[in-house]
Amino acid sequence: METEVKEAQSKIVSAENPDLTAPADWQPVIMGILCNWCSYAGSDLTGTSRIQYPPNIRIIRVPCSSRVDPWFIIKSLQSTADGVLISGCHPGDCHYISGNYYARRRFLVTKKLLNFVGYHENRVQFSWVSAAEGPKFAKVVAKVTDDIKKLGPLHRYKKENF
Amino acid sequence: MDYSNQIREIASRLFTDNKIDYFVGYKQNSFDDSQVPFLFTDPAKISNLVFTEKSVFNLTNYLKPDHTKRKRVGLVVKGCDSRALNLMLTESQVKRENVYIIGICCEGVLNEKGEKAQNCVECVMSDPVVYDEILGTPSGKKGYTINADIKELADKSLTERADYFEDIFNNCIRCNACRHSCPLCYCAKCCIDQETSTLYHGANTSSGAMHALMTWSLHLAGRCVDCRNCEKACPSHLPLHLLHKQNESVIYENFQQHLAGMEKDDRGAFYKYSLSDPDDFIL
Repeated sequence: METEVKEAQSKIVSAENPDLTAPADWQPVIMGILCNWCSYAGSDLTGTSRIQYPPNIRIIRVPCSSRVDPWFIIKSLQSTADGVLISGCHPGDCHYISGNYYARRRFLVTKKLLNFVGYHENRVQFSWVSAAEGPKFAKVVAKVTDDIKKLGPLHRYKKENF
Repeated sequence: MDYSNQIREIASRLFTDNKIDYFVGYKQNSFDDSQVPFLFTDPAKISNLVFTEKSVFNLTNYLKPDHTKRKRVGLVVKGCDSRALNLMLTESQVKRENVYIIGICCEGVLNEKGEKAQNCVECVMSDPVVYDEILGTPSGKKGYTINADIKELADKSLTERADYFEDIFNNCIRCNACRHSCPLCYCAKCCIDQETSTLYHGANTSSGAMHALMTWSLHLAGRCVDCRNCEKACPSHLPLHLLHKQNESVIYENFQQHLAGMEKDDRGAFYKYSLSDPDDFIL
């Protein structure tokens, strides 16, 4: 009896689906969409500086954070990703002058809508990382990975289930 | 609210002056007391034209097809319809000189149960914002209230909400009637249809419906005028307004109380920005 309880505690319970659990050593897949001019260069700096960060993130490079259509986020969540991290230049630093201001509006509405239809708010996260912030990028990825590990696997609306 | 006679007079005058080729209005259904949108081409049939509180549809949707797009069209608009028309004019979908707009100061239309419809109870602008002729007395802009259904759902737990929406997405049959009935969904090729894998994204599953409806509502965010044409067209009677009203309330609260189509040359909340937009959710 005691061993059963211990087993249950060592499992990760899915935030959206409490019936669903994953083994304690489960590793999430995180979709990282990074802006070419700041965050992608920042992640490159993290690598060249030999800073360790979780390998769960799969990176896609886009020209600007405003290139990210909310559709990309929805499709990622429907495919293999358990979470999404989108990163761009700090406000005022955009290579295209105002792209990240437009993106910021879209991200807020997308995040609220996803939460409204039943995704945990930590599934989709956003960050501003500049080309000089290598250590910050490592910290952001560690935080996002940690958050999503706590939420457990995303089961709802996954296309593998159909 | 019965403007049938006045609209008939205006429409027949426009036809005799040769100002329009078509007139889009409502016609009484022969089998019950509901009304259907009707494209009047013959001035002799204008006597069939009606407009009462049962004229529920958004007629600006009939400016989308090829046969009306390059013609001179007269049409009747209520407050919400005129906001949609305003956006269509701004987005160059309709030429202003090609449309003759009869604006109605709307007192609210009825839903299927015969009560005042929810979007009319919560209506922000019942007067037309763009018109050539106006009927009725304007009552001015009203205060914004957050939709009652949104409030109720926001109080529920995450799992309850997720279950509720999974039911909605499960009942979607992917007929795309919502998209076709929306006056602001006019892309010749929709990104939702560009999927190579119809087995997954385009499939008739809750996953495919989630993908389609969420993308659709986010592409309309900041532009939706809450005319609820999509809901009236939906054969599964899905509460599609939930997604739109959620986006609208977030936009109203965070982006300088923006409401779609209220002003001329306003392209929607996502076509502009402010330096003071909230970014506390960004790491």
